[in-house]
Amino acid sequence: MEVFILKNIADHFFLFYGASLVSVYFLGIIFANIGIIKSKRRNTFLSSRGVISASDLPHVSLIAPAYNEGLTIIDNVLSLLLLKYPYYELIVVNDGSDDDSLEKLIKRFKLVPVKNEMPRGSIRTATVRNIYKSSLAHYKNLTIVDKENGGRSDAVNVGINIAGSELILCTDADCIIEETAIIKMVTPFLEVEQREVVACGGGIGIANGSHIKNGVLRKLNLPPNLLGKVQVVEYMRAFLLGRMAWGEVNGLMLVSGAFGMYPRQRLMEIGGFDPNTIGEDLELCVRLRRHMEKLKVPYKVVYLPLTLCWTEAPDNYNIFVKQRDRWARGLWETLKTHTKLIGNPRFRAMGTVFLPYWVVFEFGAPIIEFVGLVYLALSAFMGWVNWKVALELFAVVYLLGCIMSTAAVFMYVNNFNQYNNFKHIFKLLLAAYLEPFVFHPVLVYASIKGYLKMVFNIQSGWGKMTRKGFVTAP
Amino acid sequence: MPFGNLEFFIKIFLLFLVANILLTLCAAQWRRSKNRRKKLIEAVFADKISDFLYPQTGKKPSFIDVQRALRKVGVREERPENVQFLIQLMIRTQQALGGSNRIQLKRLYGQIPPYRASIDKLRKRDPFQKALGIKEIYEMDQNQYIKQIAAYRDHKNIYLRREAQIALVSFLGWDSLRFLPYLSRKISLWQQIKIVEKLHDVCREPKVEYLHLAYKTKNPDAIELIIRIIKKFYLLSEVDYVFLNLKHPSYEVRKAAIYCLLSLKVRDGAIAERLVRVMDGIPSKIQRKQVLKYLAKGGHTIPTLSL
Repeated sequence: MEVFILKNIADHFFLFYGASLVSVYFLGIIFANIGIIKSKRRNTFLSSRGVISASDLPHVSLIAPAYNEGLTIIDNVLSLLLLKYPYYELIVVNDGSDDDSLEKLIKRFKLVPVKNEMPRGSIRTATVRNIYKSSLAHYKNLTIVDKENGGRSDAVNVGINIAGSELILCTDADCIIEETAIIKMVTPFLEVEQREVVACGGGIGIANGSHIKNGVLRKLNLPPNLLGKVQVVEYMRAFLLGRMAWGEVNGLMLVSGAFGMYPRQRLMEIGGFDPNTIGEDLELCVRLRRHMEKLKVPYKVVYLPLTLCWTEAPDNYNIFVKQRDRWARGLWETLKTHTKLIGNPRFRAMGTVFLPYWVVFEFGAPIIEFVGLVYLALSAFMGWVNWKVALELFAVVYLLGCIMSTAAVFMYVNNFNQYNNFKHIFKLLLAAYLEPFVFHPVLVYASIKGYLKMVFNIQSGWGKMTRKGFVTAP
Repeated sequence: MPFGNLEFFIKIFLLFLVANILLTLCAAQWRRSKNRRKKLIEAVFADKISDFLYPQTGKKPSFIDVQRALRKVGVREERPENVQFLIQLMIRTQQALGGSNRIQLKRLYGQIPPYRASIDKLRKRDPFQKALGIKEIYEMDQNQYIKQIAAYRDHKNIYLRREAQIALVSFLGWDSLRFLPYLSRKISLWQQIKIVEKLHDVCREPKVEYLHLAYKTKNPDAIELIIRIIKKFYLLSEVDYVFLNLKHPSYEVRKAAIYCLLSLKVRDGAIAERLVRVMDGIPSKIQRKQVLKYLAKGGHTIPTLSL
C-alpha cells in the first residue's frame, strides 16, 4: 500500500516538475519577444554613426587570454585588432604557453619589453614575466603579457590589472568578433538612466564550417555534422530565448566568458574573476550582482540580442562531454559558493527567484531526468507502466520540445539575416527534432558525470578542448 | 493516474508545431522578398538621383520622372514599408552629399514621396512613432516643423525627448542651448555625446552668449553637457564655469569637469597651476588622486596634498 502511495507521489512530482519547466520556457518566449521588440526600437535611435568619433566615449580594454594557441595566434590577434572603435587597447595574455605563441607574437608584431609598465590594479595573480608593446606605430594599442600559467581566470585578472580603461571586454583569443561589436557593447553603458549597468553580454554564434578571411567571417555556414547543427539550435534557444527573457526581467545570472563587458572599477572592487572555480563567468556574474545588492545601488545586467562573437563549438562527442561536464561542475561550484543567497529575501529577486530557478531547473534538470529514467526502468520492471499512456506522454513532451526549438529558429529567422535560406532552416529544424535522441542523453550523461566528480571530489580541471580552426576563405 | 486523455494534447501540439514550421518558412520567404524589393528600390533610387543631380546634356531634371520610377517599384502610400525604406535611403544620400547637391536634394525631397510620412508620424499617439518622425525630419533638414518638435524637448518618453533635443540642436545650433535650463529630466551620456557631436557638426563656430544662458541650469546632467561642450570646442574663456563645478555634489559632474580641465590644459598651461591650487576643494579623494596622477604624467610639480 505504501509503495503505491510513493509511486503516486513520484508520478505527480515528475508531472509537476515537467509542467513547471514548460511553463517557465513558454513564459520565456513571451519575455524574449518583448525584449527583442524593445531592443529593436531602441536600436532605431542608437546609430553609432554620429558618436563614433566623440572624444567622450569610454576607453575599452579587450582582454584575450591565450594558452598554447601558436597555430592560430597571429591570425587571431590580427582579427582582434580590426575592430572599429576609436579608443580600445588589446591585451593578449599568454598564460604560460608551452608552445611558440610568444615567439611568434614577438616576431610578427616586433614586440619590445616595457620596463616601467606597472599594473594599475591589485588583484592577486600568478607572476607576470614580461609586458610587451609593439614597436610598430599601427599596433600601438596592442599589449602582450607573458605570465606564469595560472588558468583562464588568472590570465584575465592580469589583463584587468594592466588595463587602463573604464570598460573591460573579456573574450577568448580564438573568437571572431564582429567589427562593430565594441560600440554596440558600449552603448548600454552610455545609455544609463536609472540603473547602473554592471555587465553586458552579446550573442555568441557557432562558426564551425564557415568561411573566415583575415579574421573576418565572410560566409556563415552551418556546421557540417549533426552535433554542430544541434548546438546551433541550442545556442539560439539559450541566447535568443533564455538570456533575452531573463535580461528583460533583470534576472540574467550569466554573461558568457567568451564575450562579456564589465566596468573595470566594479571588477576591481570584487577582486576580478575567481581563479579557483571552473565556471568563472557564472560565478563572476553572481558575485557582481551580490556586490551590488550589498551596496544597495540599483543595477542591471544587460543582454544584446545580436550575434557579435563567433566561436568554434566541439565537433565530436568526446570534446562535447568534456565541455558540458566542466559547465556542470562550474554550476555546482558557483551554487555551492553562494548557497547563502539562495532563497534569501535580503537579496530580493536574485535570492528569491533567479537563483532558486537556477537550482531547481538548471542544476536540477539533469538529476531529475536521470532519476526519471531510473524510475521508468523500475516501473517497467515492476509492471507499473501503462505503455500507451507512457508513449503518449513522451509524444507530448517531445512535441513541446520541438515547439520550443522551432520558436527559437523562427525568432532568429524573423529578426536576423543569418540562416534564413530554406536549406539552412530545414537542416536546423531537422537537427532540433533529432536533438532529444542524439544530443540530449549525452548532455544529461555529461552533467551527471560532472556532478559525480564533484560528489566524489575527483579533480579534473578544464579538460583539453582541441580546436580544428576555421575554414579560411580563398 | 494523473494523466488523462493525452491524444487531444498530442493533436493540438502537433498542429501548433506544423503552424510554427510554416510560420518560420513564411518569415524566411517574406524576409527574402523584402530584401529583394529593397535592393530594387535602392537601384532605381540611385539611378534616378544621379540622373536628377547630373542630367544628360539637353535634359532637364524632372521631379515627375523620379516620382514615376519610384511608384513603379512599389513606393506608394498604401505600402508604408517601402515608403519607410525610401526615407532611410533619402537620409543616407543626404548625409553623403554636400554643397549644391545637398540643396538640390532638399528641393527634390520636398516634391517626391514619402507622402508626408514623417510629419504624419508626429500626429500619432505612440511616442516611438513620434520620435521616429522627428528623427527623419531633422535628418532630412526639414526645419519648418521646429515649433511642433520643440514641444517635446522635455517629454517623459525618453526617445521622444532625445530626438526632439537633437532636432533642436540640428536646426538651431548654439541657439538651442538656451533650452537647457528647461530640461528637468535625465540626459544620458549617450545623449550628451550625440548633442555635442551634432553641435560640432552643424555649427563649428562657438557662440558663447547662448552657453551663458544655459549656465542657469540646475540639472546636473545639463551641467555635465555644458562642460563637455566647453571641452569639445576648447572654450578657454569658459574655464571659470568648469572650475566652479569641480566642487559640484555630483561625482559625474566633477569627473566631466576634471577631464575637461585636463584636456584644456594642453592649450593653456596656467590651467594646470590653477588646478593644483584648487585641488583640495574636490570632495572625492579618488578624484583628487586622479588629478594628481594626470598632472604628474604631464611633468608638473605636484605639491604634497592631504589625500
